[in-house]
Amino acid sequence: MRRLFAGLAAGFLLLSTAACGSSDGSGTSDAGASDGTTKVKVGVIPILDVAPVYLGQKQGFYAERGLELELVPAQGGAAIVPGVVSGQFQFGFSNTTSLLVAQSKNLPVKAVANGVASTAEDGADFAGITVKKGSPLTSPRQLGGRKVAVNTLNNICDTSIRESVRKDGGDPSKVEFVEMPFDQMPAALDGGRVDAACTPEPALATVKAAGGKSIASNFYDVSPDLTVAMYFTSRQYAQKNPELVKRFREATAESLKYADSHPEEVRRILTTYTKIPDTLLAKLTLPRWPAEPDRASIERLAQLAQQDGLFKQSPDLDELLP
Amino acid sequence: MRGSGALLGAAGLAGFLALCEAVPRLGVVDADYFPPAARVGDALLTELGDRSFWTALGDTLTGWALGLSIAVTAGVLAGVVIAVVPHLRELTASTVEFLRPIPSVALIPLAVLLYGTALRSVLLLVVYAAFWQVLVQVLYGVRDVDPVAEETARSYGLGTWARGRYVLWPTALPYVMTGVRLAASVALILAVTAELVIGAPGLGARIAVAQTSQAVPEMYALIVVTGLLGLLVNVGARTVERRALAWHQSVRGEVTV
Repeated sequence: MRRLFAGLAAGFLLLSTAACGSSDGSGTSDAGASDGTTKVKVGVIPILDVAPVYLGQKQGFYAERGLELELVPAQGGAAIVPGVVSGQFQFGFSNTTSLLVAQSKNLPVKAVANGVASTAEDGADFAGITVKKGSPLTSPRQLGGRKVAVNTLNNICDTSIRESVRKDGGDPSKVEFVEMPFDQMPAALDGGRVDAACTPEPALATVKAAGGKSIASNFYDVSPDLTVAMYFTSRQYAQKNPELVKRFREATAESLKYADSHPEEVRRILTTYTKIPDTLLAKLTLPRWPAEPDRASIERLAQLAQQDGLFKQSPDLDELLP
Repeated sequence: MRGSGALLGAAGLAGFLALCEAVPRLGVVDADYFPPAARVGDALLTELGDRSFWTALGDTLTGWALGLSIAVTAGVLAGVVIAVVPHLRELTASTVEFLRPIPSVALIPLAVLLYGTALRSVLLLVVYAAFWQVLVQVLYGVRDVDPVAEETARSYGLGTWARGRYVLWPTALPYVMTGVRLAASVALILAVTAELVIGAPGLGARIAVAQTSQAVPEMYALIVVTGLLGLLVNVGARTVERRALAWHQSVRGEVTV
């Protein structure tokens, strides 16, 4: 889940380049190949969250709809957002806050399908605020004046952690956030370099295996059904290929449903594109994969982000959401 | 002499491995985050048996070799032209000195925007980093031409091509070779870095996947592989340099009077 939330930098860059980014068009047009299958490239981050599209590809949900999926692993939103806007990828995976920020800056991004959602179970989410073994911290309100690691500043992790602190009666403005990749957080916690960390799976399982624990489910605290990430395309591509986008959305919805009801197959497909060790694999808390994004939760997330000053102008959800 | 050098080198490596084994075992660092050498070795063996590892290795070497070839060709051509054409050197000097220190990795957003996560992104970064190494050496090399030799060649009626071949090239070659050797290492570093940061297919991307998957021994095993590659590249470049400059006094070790 590393750098999943790193779209910010990309968004900033794109402000100046989006205009010329579409110079080589937005990829293939609807016509597709003569045999009716169209090749689409999807920029994904090789993490737990995108297991459904790997499963859907294997199950043939995309092929049934004439889509030949090429899943291109990229190292995070910083690579995916520009890739989609410039037409290198037809679709991409990004966390919701990054998409909101991109939209608020008028980048031509358009969400097309749900990505991943929190588990709607407080204390048993696929991400949490973790502390090391023996830490005196037991609840988010104590985080004031403490160092908390997030993968990207001014993104979904710090926004949601501030909400956890607020809900628990603490002062979110006193929390000191530091930036580091998710995978380095377990060691940083153990070494005492940070007091708490925003850890999704599999870092969460690593922390727990080392005796640490989760003191709050920050995504849950924003909304029990928080839409954490979505698949998106560029507005030009969506306008040019409405039919194809519709097929991608349907296939993805079916894949999400399938993944949600086949957790064992999810764990199995993970071994094909990640290197999560067997010892952790069985302990992973899987997220939920609802077929549709939850608009109310996205509105709440946008509100909190607005409050944190992430937007210069409010994002237009009608423009962004499918 | 050479035998004892290799022996010492091996002893140094063994000592280093022993240190890597001891540090986590003694609890200086947590073995979960820095596994002992034996566990990394295990993971390395597993990697070697995995076909996708070899594909990744091939991808990295392709990016390195292509990038290096382009950079060396472009660097030599540009260097000779800049050095030979009057005033061109003065005209370009400030621009070269401005562009040269820009770290290649700073161009990653540009690379992604232009080429996505494909091989061409890697090539852009590799070529950008390696090109300057060669160019600057070529510029020095051409400047080093002995004016007396040049004048002598002229008075013997050698044409432009002949002077280039028999005066300029032999003088510049040792510099070019140094440039190539430096570029070869830089190109490898940049190829792996680009894959690591962008996610272009290759060893770097594999390291990134191991990182995000909390597969610590596998990550170190892959890092060891990149280290070994660097070692091979350096040894290879030195060999090429020695062969190409067998006639040169720096290699012959002849005492000059």
